[in-house]
Amino acid sequence: MMRKLGIALLLSTYLIGSPAPSKLATVLLPGSSPLVTFRILFTTGSAFDPPGKEGLAELTATMLAQGGTRSMSYDQIVQFLYPMASSVGSQVDKEMTVFTGTTHVENLDRYYSLFKDMLLDPGFRPEDFRRLREDAVNSLKVSLRESNDEELGKEHLYNVIYAGHPYGHYNGGKVSSLEKLTVDDVRSFYRSHYTGANLVIGLAGGYERAFESRVETDFGKLPEGKADKKRFDNPKLAAGTHIDILTRDTRSTAISLGFPIEVTRASRDWPALALAASYFGQHRSSNSYLYQRLREARGLNYGDYAYVEYFPRGMFLMVPDPNLGRQQQIFQIWIRPVEAENSMFALRAALYEYDKLVRDGISQEAFENTREFLTKFANVLTQTQGARLGYALDSHYYGIPDYNDYVKTQFSRLTLADVNAAIRRHLKTDRLRIVMVTKNGDAIRDAILKNIPSPIAYNSPKPKEIMDEDKTIQAYKVNAKPEDVVIVPVAQVFQ
Amino acid sequence: MRTPLALLSLLFCVAAVPAQQKETKLFAYNYSIDDLDNGLRLVTVPTDFPNMVALYIVVQTGSRNEVEPGKSGYAHLFEHLMFRGSENYTPDQRDLILKKAGAESNATTNQDRTTYYETFSKEDLDPVMKLEADRFQRLKYPEPAYKTETLAVLGEFNKNSADPTEKLDEVLYATAFTKHTYEHTTMGFLKDIQDMPNQYAYSLQFYNRFYRPEYTTIVLVGDVTREQAVGLTKRYFGEWKRGSYVPDIPAEPPQASPRTAVVDWNTPTLPWLAIAFKGPGYSDEKKDKAALDLLAPIAFGSTSDLYQRLVLKEQKVDNLGIDAGSHPDPELITVYARVKDPRDMDYVREQILATFKRFTDVPVDQTTLDATRSRIRYSFALRLNSSAAIANALAPYIGLRRTPETINKLFTLYQQITPQDIQSVANQYFTPNNRTIVTLTSKGAKN
Repeated sequence: MMRKLGIALLLSTYLIGSPAPSKLATVLLPGSSPLVTFRILFTTGSAFDPPGKEGLAELTATMLAQGGTRSMSYDQIVQFLYPMASSVGSQVDKEMTVFTGTTHVENLDRYYSLFKDMLLDPGFRPEDFRRLREDAVNSLKVSLRESNDEELGKEHLYNVIYAGHPYGHYNGGKVSSLEKLTVDDVRSFYRSHYTGANLVIGLAGGYERAFESRVETDFGKLPEGKADKKRFDNPKLAAGTHIDILTRDTRSTAISLGFPIEVTRASRDWPALALAASYFGQHRSSNSYLYQRLREARGLNYGDYAYVEYFPRGMFLMVPDPNLGRQQQIFQIWIRPVEAENSMFALRAALYEYDKLVRDGISQEAFENTREFLTKFANVLTQTQGARLGYALDSHYYGIPDYNDYVKTQFSRLTLADVNAAIRRHLKTDRLRIVMVTKNGDAIRDAILKNIPSPIAYNSPKPKEIMDEDKTIQAYKVNAKPEDVVIVPVAQVFQ
Repeated sequence: MRTPLALLSLLFCVAAVPAQQKETKLFAYNYSIDDLDNGLRLVTVPTDFPNMVALYIVVQTGSRNEVEPGKSGYAHLFEHLMFRGSENYTPDQRDLILKKAGAESNATTNQDRTTYYETFSKEDLDPVMKLEADRFQRLKYPEPAYKTETLAVLGEFNKNSADPTEKLDEVLYATAFTKHTYEHTTMGFLKDIQDMPNQYAYSLQFYNRFYRPEYTTIVLVGDVTREQAVGLTKRYFGEWKRGSYVPDIPAEPPQASPRTAVVDWNTPTLPWLAIAFKGPGYSDEKKDKAALDLLAPIAFGSTSDLYQRLVLKEQKVDNLGIDAGSHPDPELITVYARVKDPRDMDYVREQILATFKRFTDVPVDQTTLDATRSRIRYSFALRLNSSAAIANALAPYIGLRRTPETINKLFTLYQQITPQDIQSVANQYFTPNNRTIVTLTSKGAKN
């Protein structure tokens, strides 16, 4: 069960709510920056895609952000925005859809006049639909399946964990469902889900305060509708370790593994579990445990990380994008591509280190250092106006205070015992899901099921401690039944 | 590392602009420059963004400096080795200091420069500067650690290797350049990466040559004063010894005829097309490069006739963009296109070539030119949204000229460019003999 924080924590340094008569939810960060940032959030997303219409939420958002309005074609929009160097972006996740834009305050009127029309008066033009649906199909068939093994593995892991659950398809949809979508589907999704009840207006920067009322009046014209307040449960996974081996012609092997957790940013155990994940595998940081053992000590790959929140596009980002709030999260380990001959050793090393974390917890020293890191790192995460606004919207969604205050308060109260208790409570080994992307599907399946040892050869002498540990790792048993180790040709993924 | 996909969205590295100075200065922050006797330069940019400091150390060494055959990829390897410990700090101690500072820390390498950066709370400035000074002056990595790190570089090659555009670029540069070191990518050739474990001694020589104060500029942006910055720089970097090595980077001879290359890609992909012309090196004084900077988005950006036709109207291309990056030596101006149907490859190639030709025949429209100058100004302003973003926007220019003022000089030059200047420069560079075309298609695809 999710444990909510006490109401006493609901302090805030930003403005939630609105002085205007409107009932719209707002998160406002007025300031003195010459830039004005918009984050218009709808609490809907791909979890609300109707069955058989997977990808509809994302295509709808794309039709707004990269399509024409009723009065302007998309090529006219591009021309209009060009001298301002501004654009409109969209991001869709399971329960959140956000439209983003930043403009110089000198251009605010011009920019906003278009921005609001794109969201409130979309053209749903057939030529835009044809282009954007084809882009969506190609992004699956070409970009994700065939040119980025890491994102492929990570996204497939989510599909495996949430199979049969409303979260159980990639936000971008499936090839087969996208090919059947129509403009009318998009219109219908827009009508039902782009409602006042789902809307949160996020604004930041050096605008005049009267501008807030103008935005609220404009967006107040959306139908009130009903909020997408569906409760999503933790997926019920079958016991045991299940492994999907995605096969394609690639020179290395990418590995992702994970399982669902009942912890979100609003849960009592979030700070403890977030600290454990940061210690074990802070994203793109050399000062985390797994990176030290796999990359620094052994040169296995480029990096090794762990997460307690969905973090798409991690290959391209140093810090996560905000507005990916969800009721359900997974604990995830990402092993970046390893040389093909080290595939089994890397998988075993990841499992060995993970089991050790679960068994031993973390030390007092590691706890204190990681706590200091995370407390200060909140300033890095929120250093731009756009990020501050995004985190404020997420705090609004989770019902927690301003992110930086929340982190500082929570981490200052945290103890080592809390962290190790949270590790014991939430980090499991009995329902693990693993995805490997590789060319050696049969050999890997064989090695897993027959427990064939996978010794590793180095190009330089290693300390005795590493050599001894390798002896354990190379024979470390991956407990999976034959029926649970499945080879999947890549053409079937996202089909 | 360069990637055409990232470049498709935008090409300018330009920075924020308080409105009152907009007509004169693109980079309007007050900054100071302090030169130490040893040749090290410090650029300090105090900002209003509270609490945070961004420390960027720019070394004017990239894959361009890799002059010996078989030794591609060493500038990038060094980006890795600099995290392998120094005389007074083991890697673990280094990690701990940065961890306790809550720092975001990393480094990047391209053809012309290697940039090391940390963003952290201002109270940690002293220990971080001390830590950085040690690795720049007293890097110390044992051979086993060196060999292990070469494998992490191979891991980086592996993670990129599924992306066809990495290969497209590798072949493009190897075809367009025959003498100059731009012939190889920053990552380096796979065979050279695989030989790195055997080159410990060479790596020490590489450090000794290039990790010197005369190649290096420290950029400090954020909640910091000039006095603080100068004091710390003198204290920790003051004893650094100037070097003497100057690489003999071979000039690329004029190209005598058009070049082409074809890449057969093993796995399914939409075909890619790269059409490149040799362009001029960076200058904030001569008009050539500035004129081409302005022409690039006009001819091939999202508002261009070509983009509107191929991407929006005919929908034959799903990615179209241009890379006209700034480099110390003449490099490439490249249009990249991903074509949806292999049978349209010839058509798309002819359309792109006709567009290059068109701008040699007809001057650009004055209104579009003015809109492009406006776009450059605002895109720079929109980028400068944190101290780290400002340092990041400055880094390329520091790599080129070691001063933010070059940004203002360049913007002044942009204001002076006329449609006739652009047409004249297009005629000078967009000639068949100056051209390289590379196509990448899946094995067996018909076109």
